[in-house]
Amino acid sequence: MGDNEILDKVRDCVATALGRDREEVTLEKVLSRDLEAESIDYLDITFQLEKSFGITIQKDELFPQKIFQDESLVKGGVVTEKGLAFLSEKLPYADLSSFRKDPKVTRVPDLFTVQLLVNYVKTKFRA
Amino acid sequence: MRYVLIDRFLELEPGKRARAVKCVTRGEEFLRGMEVFPAPLVLEALLQTGGVLARAGTGFSRMSVLGKVESASFPSPARPGDRILLDVAVSLARPEGTMCDGVATVGEGPGQGRVVGRASFLIVFVPEGMAPPPDAAREEQRRRLMRALRIPAVTG
Repeated sequence: MGDNEILDKVRDCVATALGRDREEVTLEKVLSRDLEAESIDYLDITFQLEKSFGITIQKDELFPQKIFQDESLVKGGVVTEKGLAFLSEKLPYADLSSFRKDPKVTRVPDLFTVQLLVNYVKTKFRA
Repeated sequence: MRYVLIDRFLELEPGKRARAVKCVTRGEEFLRGMEVFPAPLVLEALLQTGGVLARAGTGFSRMSVLGKVESASFPSPARPGDRILLDVAVSLARPEGTMCDGVATVGEGPGQGRVVGRASFLIVFVPEGMAPPPDAAREEQRRRLMRALRIPAVTG
């Protein structure tokens, strides 16, 4: 599958799940902050991607909840070194460079952009 | 449930599809003189059918709640005297929940009857740790309801 086709389909998936116009769903948009995604919407996006691309996404594979639940990964509202290693391992397609400079756990949702979803789907097809 | 908007299940294939029926009578307390079965209740009937279908896929081991309604439309109204067929199919199932597509028709069935409602929706399972502890009275109430609705997995 070509990159443009992946991008088009990801935009459709996000637009459907979040009830947005397709034109609003651009690569740099953060799902939560810019497109107002709520917790249930992340699950909906997972459903839409599975359906649209015919892929299987394991629970917590795309949106790892453990970062918000495991006390060893976050201390005092800041993601620990162990937490950063966890994110690197779970989200190898995410750009963590900016996040590492100010690793507040409240900034974790900002990692989940449309671009991240596109990168994720590409890695699924390369695997 | 305060309002059960299903009279009974006609078919139930866990993980795949379900067909239930709701006969609209003039005596429904929520009609209160209205001539039209309110569209949100058509939606609710589809959601209740989908809820049972989703839970049937877990052997009724998980509690479920409505996650979201992706889309809904009501092309024509249902009225007292109508027999609404509620057909719901699983479009995708995951450990966290089930995505369903439903169509409510008055008449002979999808493609033949008059469509009174369509909806795509997401039923979510309550995470294990968040489900309330087992309760004998609630369990008995649930079993009675499932028998009354002729849910095949229970009545055999």
